[in-house]
This record gives sequence, C-alpha cells and structure tokens, in this order.
Amino acid sequence: MKLIELRGVGKSFGKNGILQDVNIIIEEGDIWGIIGRSGSGKTTLLNLIAGFLEPSSGEVLHSFKVTEGPKSMHANLHRIKDQIGYAPQHNSFYPKLTVMENLLHFGQLYNLPKETLQNNIKGLLQATELAIHQNKLAEHLSGGMQKRLDLACSLVHKPRILVLDEPTADLDSVLQKDIMNFLAQVNKQGVTLIIASHHLDLMEKVCNKVAIVHQGRVHSNGYLEEIRKPFLKDNFTISLSPGENKERFISILKTLPVDKIIDRQQHLIIHPKNILKTITGLLTMIQDENLYLHDLDIRRPSLDEIFETITQEK
Amino acid sequence: MKSLWLLTKKNLKLLVRSKMSALVVFFAPLFIILLLGLSYNTSSNYGLNIGIYAPEFTGEVESLMSSLQEQEFKIVKYETSVDDCVKDIKGGYVHTCVSLPESLAVESNEQKEVLFYVDPSKINLVWVVQDTLGEKFNLKSQEISKGLSGGLLSAVSDTKSKLEEQRTQLSSAKEKSAAASSAAQEINQQLTALDLTVPASTYDPQLIVTFKDTASPRIKSSLSDVKEAIETVEASGLEDKTAILGSLGEVEDTLKSLDTLVSGGAGGAAASSGNTSNNQTTVTSTASPSGFLSALVLLEEELLNTKVKLTAAATAVGSTSSSLSSTTQNLQESVSALEVAQQKVTDMKASLDAQKVTDAKVLSAPLVTKIESVSQESSYLNYMFPALLVLVVMFTSLLLGTTLVMMEKNSPAFFRNYFLPLRKGTFVISTYLTTLVITLVQVLVILAVSAVFLKDNLAQLLPVAGVLLLSSSVFSFMGMGIGYAFKSEETGTLASISTGSLLLFVSGVVLPIETISPAIRSIASFNPFVISESVIREIFLFNAGISGIWPELVTLAGYTMGLFVIIVVAEYLVHQHFISGFMKHRHLKHRQQEKRDKNNV
Repeated sequence: MKLIELRGVGKSFGKNGILQDVNIIIEEGDIWGIIGRSGSGKTTLLNLIAGFLEPSSGEVLHSFKVTEGPKSMHANLHRIKDQIGYAPQHNSFYPKLTVMENLLHFGQLYNLPKETLQNNIKGLLQATELAIHQNKLAEHLSGGMQKRLDLACSLVHKPRILVLDEPTADLDSVLQKDIMNFLAQVNKQGVTLIIASHHLDLMEKVCNKVAIVHQGRVHSNGYLEEIRKPFLKDNFTISLSPGENKERFISILKTLPVDKIIDRQQHLIIHPKNILKTITGLLTMIQDENLYLHDLDIRRPSLDEIFETITQEK
Repeated sequence: MKSLWLLTKKNLKLLVRSKMSALVVFFAPLFIILLLGLSYNTSSNYGLNIGIYAPEFTGEVESLMSSLQEQEFKIVKYETSVDDCVKDIKGGYVHTCVSLPESLAVESNEQKEVLFYVDPSKINLVWVVQDTLGEKFNLKSQEISKGLSGGLLSAVSDTKSKLEEQRTQLSSAKEKSAAASSAAQEINQQLTALDLTVPASTYDPQLIVTFKDTASPRIKSSLSDVKEAIETVEASGLEDKTAILGSLGEVEDTLKSLDTLVSGGAGGAAASSGNTSNNQTTVTSTASPSGFLSALVLLEEELLNTKVKLTAAATAVGSTSSSLSSTTQNLQESVSALEVAQQKVTDMKASLDAQKVTDAKVLSAPLVTKIESVSQESSYLNYMFPALLVLVVMFTSLLLGTTLVMMEKNSPAFFRNYFLPLRKGTFVISTYLTTLVITLVQVLVILAVSAVFLKDNLAQLLPVAGVLLLSSSVFSFMGMGIGYAFKSEETGTLASISTGSLLLFVSGVVLPIETISPAIRSIASFNPFVISESVIREIFLFNAGISGIWPELVTLAGYTMGLFVIIVVAEYLVHQHFISGFMKHRHLKHRQQEKRDKNNV
C-alpha cells in the first residue's frame, strides 16, 4: 500500500538548489535507505518525506487515510502527526528526564490510552534493553542507550512510518548492528522505515529499497536488487595472508583463462575469461600446491561499490 | 488541558533538575528579600560619614556634632583645613564636608555661613545629604534665630510694660490736673459769686444819725400821750379802770425805757430787766444809754471800715479770680497735652498689642515645614516593599520566560516537539504557566518571609499576591518574547537583564522619574514596572480597593493579552525557521564531529 509519494519534488533554499526532480514511492512495510555523501541532500529529502519541509517544486503526497485520497504531506501534517515518527540525527529527548519520564512525556502528549501507552513503553523498554535503566536520567545513559531511547521515543506512539536520520552515527560497530537489528524488528511489526545513513554495509543488510542521492538528484531508487543488476561484477577477488607467496599465486593464475590480474597489496582482483573454469582451476592448484587462501570474494557488487561507481561516474 | 499540564510539569522538572536554575529560581529571590528585609527593616538614619571642619571646636560645635551623631551619622573631625576633608570626599572616605564658621553665635548683622562640600557625581547621596543635614542645620539656624528674636521680643515686651506703667501715671497726672483745673474753676466761680459790694443806701451812716434825731421826740410824744391816757382813765369812773391803768402803765414804762435807751436815760435798766424785745437787746446789750449812740457811731465806723475792707477784698478777689482763670487755662492745656500723650502711649501699646506673634519660635520660623506621611509611619522596608516585590518578580519572570523558551529552543527534544500533535499556542501557554507557577511559589515564599518583617500589613498580602501574578504574566511574556528573538541563551539572558534594567531605570526607583526627560517620562508612565509598583503601593500602603486600581489592572491585563497574541503569532510565523536553524546547527555540529573522528582515526 502506497503511503507517501514524491512527484518531481525539488527543494531550494533561496537560490541554493538542494534537490531536484525526486520521484519516490514509499509503500507500507518498506525499509528505505537514503544514501549519499555529506551535503548531498539526504536530510532535506527526509524532511520533505516527513512533511517538515514544503517542496519548492513538485509535491509530496501521503495516503495515510485511504478514504481521503492522496493529500499534501506538508499542508496536512498536523492531521497525521500521530502516524509519523522522526528520529533526527541527534538525540531528541530531554536529558534531564529519566528514560521512563521521557517515554511517558512524549507518549502522553499523543493522547494514547493509558493502557496502550504502558504496553507500548513496556515493549519498547524490553526491545531496547532499557528496562533496567528506566529510572536513570537520559543524560546518564551511554551513547548506544541514548540512541535506543531516542528510537523508543520516536516509536512510543506506534507510528506507521518512522523516518531516521543517521541512526547509527557516532556508534561503534556492535551498537550499529544492534540498532539495525532493532530497526529490522520494528519493521517486522509493520512500521515503514526510511533511513538515511552513510553506513552502506548496514543499509544493505536492512533496507529493501534504496535511493542514492548525489548532487541534488536521486540517481537510483527502488529495490536494491534492481539497482544492483546494472552493477553485477565480472571479476572476483582473492585475499592473501601476510607473508604468503603472492608471486606464486600470480604465476598460477596466469596459467588459467584470465584477462587481467590487478594487484592491490594483499588482494588480487582477477578478471577471468570464464569465471567458472578459472575458479575451479584456481582451487585445484591451491590444493595441489598446498597453498593457503585467506579469502575468496566472488559476491555481487556491494551497495558501497555501486554507490562508489555511481558517484565516481557522475 | 492535559497537554498543558504535561508540558508544564515537564518544564518544572527540568528547571528543578537543573541545579543552577533551581538555585536562581527558588533561592535567589528568597535570599534577596531576606537580605533586603534585614537591611531596610529600620527607620534609622543613613550611615553617612560627615566631615566637620571648624576653626575652633567650641561647645556649640561639639553639641551640633553630638546631635548629628545621635542620628547615626559618623562624624570625622578636621581641625587643620577643610581641604583635607574635601580630599577625603574625593577618596570616598567621607560623604560630605561641613565647614563651620568660627562661632555659631550671631552678634552682628552679618550672616554666618555654613558651607557644605558634596560630590555631585553621587547624585542620590547629594540629595540625602541635602535633606538630612540641611534639615539639621536649618534647625540650628532656627535655634539661633529664635534666640535673637527672643531678645528682640523681650525688649518689646519690656517696653510695653513700661508704656503701660507710663500710661497709668499719665492718666493719674491727667486726672489730677483735671481735678485741679476743676477746683480752681470752682474757686474762681465761688470767688466771682461773692458779693462784696457795699450798698450805699442800706449802709449809709446818715440813716443812723437821722434815726437818732427823730426817734427820741417820737418816743417822748408817745409817752406824753400815754400819760394823758392814764390821767383820763383815772379820771373816769370806770369800774374796771385798774386793768386798763395797768396796761397803760406798762406801755408807759416801755416807752420810758425806750426813750432812755434812745436818749441815753434809764433805758439800760429796762433793757437788763428784759422787758424789751430780743432784737434790740443784741445790739445794745453792753451799751449804756449814752453808749447806744456811741455804738451807733462805732457801728458807723465799723461800717465804713468794713466797706473799705470789702472793697479791698473785692479787689483781691478780682485779682485772684484772674489768676485762677489763668491757672485753670494752664491746667486745661496741661490736661489736653496729657490726653495727647496718653493717647499716643495708648496707641503705642495698642500697636504693640496688635503684634499677634509674640513667640520667638514662631517669629524665627513662621513657616514650619512638616512632612506629614499619608501612610502609616513605618520602616524603610514598608516604603521599599512594593518596588522590591515588583523588582524581584520582574527579574524572575523575565529571566524565567527567557530561560524556559531558550531551554526549549536549545533542548535536544525541540525537533521532536514539532511532530507532537499539539498547537503552537500550547507550548507558549505551558511556558507561561510554568513561569506563573514558579512565580507563585516565589511570591508565596517572599510574602511569607516578608510577613516576618511586615506584621502590620498582613491583610494586604493576598491582593498584593494577585497583582504580582498579573505583573508576572506581563514580564513572563516579555521574557518569552526575548527568548524567541535571540538565538543563544547567553544573549537572551543578557537581553532580559538589560530589559529589566531599562524598565527599572525608567521607573523612579533608582532615580526619581521627574529627573528624566519629559519625552521619556511620558513613556515611562506606560512602563509595566511603574504600573505594577504603583498598584501594589496603593494596596500595600493606602489599602486601596479594586475601585481605585482597576484602570492599572486593566492595563496590565491588556499588556498580558497583547504580548500573548504577539508571541503566538510570532511563534506561528517563525517556528519552522527556528527548527530549521536548530536542525542546521545540529547537522553542522554532527559533521564537524565526524570530521574530527576521521582525523583522529
């Protein structure tokens, strides 16, 4: 079900054009990843989707209420605020209130029934593992816990769509994964997610749809697999352990049907003429010669690679 | 309403949990009012250091100094030069110098000069010095003047009593003169009335001679007739001729006696026998028949002598009468002169009596300026209390309004609030309510503390609290407006303090409002501080009812409503701008952090 649609949306601040001609359709249950370099307009796009900003051109329409048909997101924001959750880049809660007080404060302001609110809070505290910290002042929480509290505050009223701007910023990799796992759980409960981040590896794992923003334009958007297709690789990479005889590997590879071997220190990127014959021959020779192969990467192009390719091309 | 309560509760929690805010918001006003209460809960005089220079510190100067010390002035003596004292004013060791003349006693028409040296840069202190010391020296001046006037009045009074004395004596002299004049006049009249003329016919001696010549023949002729009658009776045959003869014999005897008397015969015996009349015997009692004529002669002589004497007496009387007339004239003139003198003395006395002012105190200071307090006489705290209350409430409300708005604007949750299903006015009202709740607590605390010092005005504290809350509303909205207008908390706070100071400076609390320019003065009357202070003063000091203060209350309510509308409209118009700015700021901060992290890696 279509929730939000961006039709030829452009946004400029004065003479400074930030975005132009953005066309995206957000459907219920999607996890959208908005990726782009710093200053590419990711946050502006999120703000347009969330209805905080009014587009300079085009329109952002929402269909939260099916019976009413699509309506301008910005103009009708006051009517659908309870359907939207927004977790900005920075934590957005009161540091001088406890975890529970923050959740209660924001939840109560959404006029939820007391029981519903209590259930929501209980569920969120468990999911974010903040239950044992519920009476701590928010400012006394660790960075990861603060981020989880921020997400909990954004979800306390059970929105249909949650917009997240760099939810994993300033967090270590473990916490980043935790957050992403949490978001995946949230999505499973029916919340549509729109995430802007530059942690592409994590985005790749969580998002089913991606929009790549570069120089004020959305270059690719839609299902990740669809985006990946034009970027499928014709090469594979082997990684060697330090001290391994790289020359020996290169000489073996040259006996196989390869077009080009690119030497990148511990990594060798091989462009085969026939990927199957080349890989089979390589593995046989490694076994015969009793060599040690640290890693063999024959995967599809990563989002990072796709992003790199797109941004370098442009 | 639920949202308002939730937001207000949240604001209060945030304020309380911010230690500094809690300290400022709750304890600062308490501390201020306690300090001021302790400082100004007195009616004693100002602790001014007064430098006194006098060429000689006489008993009179020492007495003056003692009276100044009684009023809690600290006195510093300068014996060498007044310049030392002036130097100390510049150094701030003394507040004013008083240069006294050699003596305070006034003994000539020359005025004594008391010089005050003050530092005009301390303008309010100058007024205090002028008020208090000026009054003290005026009293001394009056005292001297009273002494001088007393001397004058005493002389006048003395003169008056002497005049009274003189007037009495003059009156007595006049009366005596008048009596003398009257007596002289009377004597004159009596003298004049004396008839000393000698009637020529009555007292003519010839008559005596004539009488002497004619009386004897007639008596003899009558005697002859009686003798003939006796002879005739004897000759007649009348039966009762004895009785007739007896009577005739008696007549004959009488005539004989008379003849003897007149002619000098045997009349003396007859007279001594008492047969003649009394009138005749008084003249001739000692005369013999021959002496009667002699007596007549003597009489005649006597008459002549008497005539001479009477003439002389008449002359003397005439002369005396003339003198008496002259004396009377003089006496009358003297009386007239005395009357004039008496009149003049009377006029002088009347003139002196007409002087109603006879008291030296009144004469030396006919106009006594007495400041009558229109309110109950109390300590300085009572007079300062309205201004103090408004001052505390103004600064608290202004700062709270600004702080709360700034707190919200700079809070990490500012952006999230945008997505809350609440009207923008709700946030404005909740901020206002938070300020009001805190102000209410403060006002209650302040009034409770004040109640210790202001026991006589307890009844007024409740309406005062009401007015303070209304004032607080105005200042809260002003503070909130400042909060919305400024970006950083520091500039906002500074602007609040500046606004408060500005309102304070054009309120008449620091300097009298009358000293500022007329243009600003007219604007100052619209100053909410002035209005609030005026209302509280009226309630607190004069027990004014609602009927007396409603225009001010309406004005304050109008300010409150006007500011609320302005803030809501402004908030509606610029809220998104604030959030964009907030987001941009956070975004930039985040990027900078990212860069720093990368560089560190």
